[in-house]
Amino acid sequence: MSLFKTNKASPWLLNFFRWYCHPDYVEDLEGDLLETFERTKEQSGPQKANWILAINVIKLFRPGIIRSFNDYQFSHYDMFKNNLKIAVRNLIKHKSYAFINVLGLAIGMTCCLLIFLYVNHELTYDSFHSKSDRIYRVVTDIKTPTETINTGVTSAPMTAYMKTDFPEVEDFVRLDPSQFLLSDGEKSYQEDNGMFADASFFKIFTFPLVKGNAKTALVDPFSVVLTESAAKKYFGDQPPMGKVLKLEGEYDLTVTGIMQDVPQNSNFSFDVLVSLSTTLEEIFPRRAEQWGNFAYNSYVLLLPNALPSALENKLPDFMEKYYGETMDRDEMHYSLFLEPLSAVYLKSERGSPRSGNQINVMVFSIIACLILIIACFNFMNLSTARATERAKEVGIRKVIGAIRWQLTIQFLSEALLMSMLAFILALLACEIVIPSFNQLAGKQIVNSIFYNFNHLAVFGLFAIFVGLLAGFYPAYVLSNFNPVSILKGKFSSSQTGLVLRKVLVTSQFVISITLIAGTAIVYNQLGFMRDKSLGFKKNQMLVIDFHGDNAIQEKINVFKQQLSANPQILGVSASSSVPSTGNNGAFSVIENPSGDLQSSNLAMFYVDHEFFDLFELEMVAGRQFSRDMLTDSAALIVNEATVASYGYQQPEAIIGKQFSQWGVEGQVIGVVKDFHYASLQQKIEPLSIRLEPDNAMYLTFNIESTNISNTIASLEEKWKKLAPQRPFEYFFIDESFNQQYAAEVRFGDLFTYFAGLAVFIACLGLLGLISYTSTQRKKEIGIRKVLGANKLGLIKLLTQDILRLIVIAFFVALPITWFTLSKWLQSFAYQTEISPWVFIIAGLMALGVSFAAISYQAFKAALSNPIEALKNE
Amino acid sequence: MSKHHLGEFEEIVMLTVAILYDEAYGIAIIDEMEDRLGRKVSIGALQTVLRRLEKKGYLDSRFGEATKVRGGKRKRYFTITAFGKKVLTDVKEQRMGLWNAVPELIWNKQ
Repeated sequence: MSLFKTNKASPWLLNFFRWYCHPDYVEDLEGDLLETFERTKEQSGPQKANWILAINVIKLFRPGIIRSFNDYQFSHYDMFKNNLKIAVRNLIKHKSYAFINVLGLAIGMTCCLLIFLYVNHELTYDSFHSKSDRIYRVVTDIKTPTETINTGVTSAPMTAYMKTDFPEVEDFVRLDPSQFLLSDGEKSYQEDNGMFADASFFKIFTFPLVKGNAKTALVDPFSVVLTESAAKKYFGDQPPMGKVLKLEGEYDLTVTGIMQDVPQNSNFSFDVLVSLSTTLEEIFPRRAEQWGNFAYNSYVLLLPNALPSALENKLPDFMEKYYGETMDRDEMHYSLFLEPLSAVYLKSERGSPRSGNQINVMVFSIIACLILIIACFNFMNLSTARATERAKEVGIRKVIGAIRWQLTIQFLSEALLMSMLAFILALLACEIVIPSFNQLAGKQIVNSIFYNFNHLAVFGLFAIFVGLLAGFYPAYVLSNFNPVSILKGKFSSSQTGLVLRKVLVTSQFVISITLIAGTAIVYNQLGFMRDKSLGFKKNQMLVIDFHGDNAIQEKINVFKQQLSANPQILGVSASSSVPSTGNNGAFSVIENPSGDLQSSNLAMFYVDHEFFDLFELEMVAGRQFSRDMLTDSAALIVNEATVASYGYQQPEAIIGKQFSQWGVEGQVIGVVKDFHYASLQQKIEPLSIRLEPDNAMYLTFNIESTNISNTIASLEEKWKKLAPQRPFEYFFIDESFNQQYAAEVRFGDLFTYFAGLAVFIACLGLLGLISYTSTQRKKEIGIRKVLGANKLGLIKLLTQDILRLIVIAFFVALPITWFTLSKWLQSFAYQTEISPWVFIIAGLMALGVSFAAISYQAFKAALSNPIEALKNE
Repeated sequence: MSKHHLGEFEEIVMLTVAILYDEAYGIAIIDEMEDRLGRKVSIGALQTVLRRLEKKGYLDSRFGEATKVRGGKRKRYFTITAFGKKVLTDVKEQRMGLWNAVPELIWNKQ
């Protein structure tokens, strides 16, 4: 400290004293301190004198001498009122610039708020369960000699035995989402949102029951709990408790409880909850001990403070103990893992009834930041460009005695004012736009922007932050002016921050071009997936879904014959799956090239003789199922992917090899060319096809494209006669296939809107900038015209700077877009190429849009009468 | 007790200001008190008391000349007001009254 270094009284101490001391007393008290200092210095030297000074300064720190701090703030309050007044006057004086600034900020804020709502919604799925931090989903990895499958399901005994063996497992629950037929005695309904659940369901998850007892509702077999909407659907306004619904035409279920509808932000989606004891104690009791039957989504509730990783480490031994022999014999190794409940919806890649895409969430968050950056850059640009207007004011204020930071605060508060105005506009805009936004996103995110006051406060802070962020740089620049040069008249501000302004405009356009190109690529990919040849006939294929109704399966040939007796119907086939409906997997054993029997998990289709012809599938080796060969009921057809996974070089090589699948043994008789039976997001997995038409779940009809509604009506009539117990449910394969991309299409739409908004904001900024520069250069243009410049040359002059920047932006945007969009495309197994056209179009669009924005101003300036500009010289 | 409550230190300060007549400023008051009473006086305590007495109206203050030694800061001289004189004499009379009421015996006893 300078106490010990200098000959004079320490300025630190004096400054400190001046700060706290009452202004009326400062002078004489400081004088006394200095006199004492001099005296002590003469007696004992400067160091001691400073030491004594320090002591005295501390001793004077007493209530009677300290200044009143209220008085201190009071003058700042007045100053702030003045700042506000000046800010408002400024806004009114330059309405158009203020409008552009506020509008740009408002749009940017609206986008950010909407994206925040969406991202927040996605990130908080299932957070409403009171025990959510202790709930984990149990998932299985199946390792076969050829591959590892990551599933989201387990078998029934796995979690049950986990509870018996591990004390840290407090409870467990198994869930089986199902579709089944429910009838109330008169009408039959196909319930697609059904689920079987253990009695512990309500103990683990927080789904409030409106009627009935949560502890006992699902204990007994044949009990069912309905959601309020389901109750309304089945029973209208009648009291539903105790009523009976018939399951699949056979079993009577009693309503033991009514619960609130499942909220939107949960990965669970069900309307009808049947007790799992119905299946495991009554209908299929063997499943309770079948370790290899993967039918259940299972969750465990751990004790507080139990570590999931510790439990996971014990699971390999656990599996070895109960199922080790079978696993070794079948060459199928099961490993169990725990996923926290909060990760199931978004992060997990193993699927769930409702599943979100983490990449989408990230993409939108980034877009929100980018849009905000563009809006802030706009603000900065316009404010610094207009600096000359305020130069005189700044000069005079400085001369009167304003300190630099006072001016900074003044300009910051102007920025804050605009940002708060923008915030109010943004809130209004959000309120209006939210219903359409919900629709666009495909889910009910919130009803109103005012849904949560905590969040509203956060939004307000966010608006303040934006104001400070955007206003900081202009405030810095403006407060930096040299008053002398301003008042002398030598000040010209058009050079102020010119380079930075160019950088800002260029960045805005880099972002805009990236977004435009990105949108084009997204649309390309979607179109590609829509139009790609799938390897089978998908158009004009109508499918009736009868959910494996036993009565229909027994008479499947009758159904096929009678329903297709219609000149409009060109063919029919029965199968257990059709492309896009998902399929079963089967544990299968096939002979591999070295003659050993190798196990694998193959996708499986049960079909009839007509299947291959109806779907126009191509055989690359061997033959299809034939009515002449009676042994075909124990024959297997596989696809090319299976051939490759078993290590065969040629498809012909697998013909004649032995196979065994679910008790059926025989030979492989044919290889079908790979076709996309699932979505294009996944690679074609190995597939096995067997001849078992009485295990079919779907009837597929190839129908003429004329008079489709008549065909459907006639089919429905016949159906009602043949199968009155089954509702007539149908869909078209091409539509069903495309629906798998519904989420991507929505993503594409949202992306387009936000890209459009970003470009719009960038152009707003450009508009403001260009109108300002042309006003600035009015004199210059006037002189040039007088000297003989032609109109074209003038337009070129005014616009070439900006256009040059856009070209630079284009070349910067190129690699950025390429890199990020390639990553997005990689999430699809089948992708388009990124064509150079995309960039050319994006660049031209950017040029075109900006030219449109600036052309009006440029033309006006070029056509102006030079006399107007120069008459005041 | 009368309606003026004058603390011991306050009384001494006022008397010292009176002694110094026209020359009573911070440092001088401290010097005088330390000389006469032989005890250290804290600048903080003193200045607080001076301001308080001025607020009560017992003292008046005026600015004097600035000197180089004081870095160009002026001195603040304090003087007793008429009110202050009255208070001092009242307190003195009270004190004397008490003294006179003490019986001779106390002083002579062993």
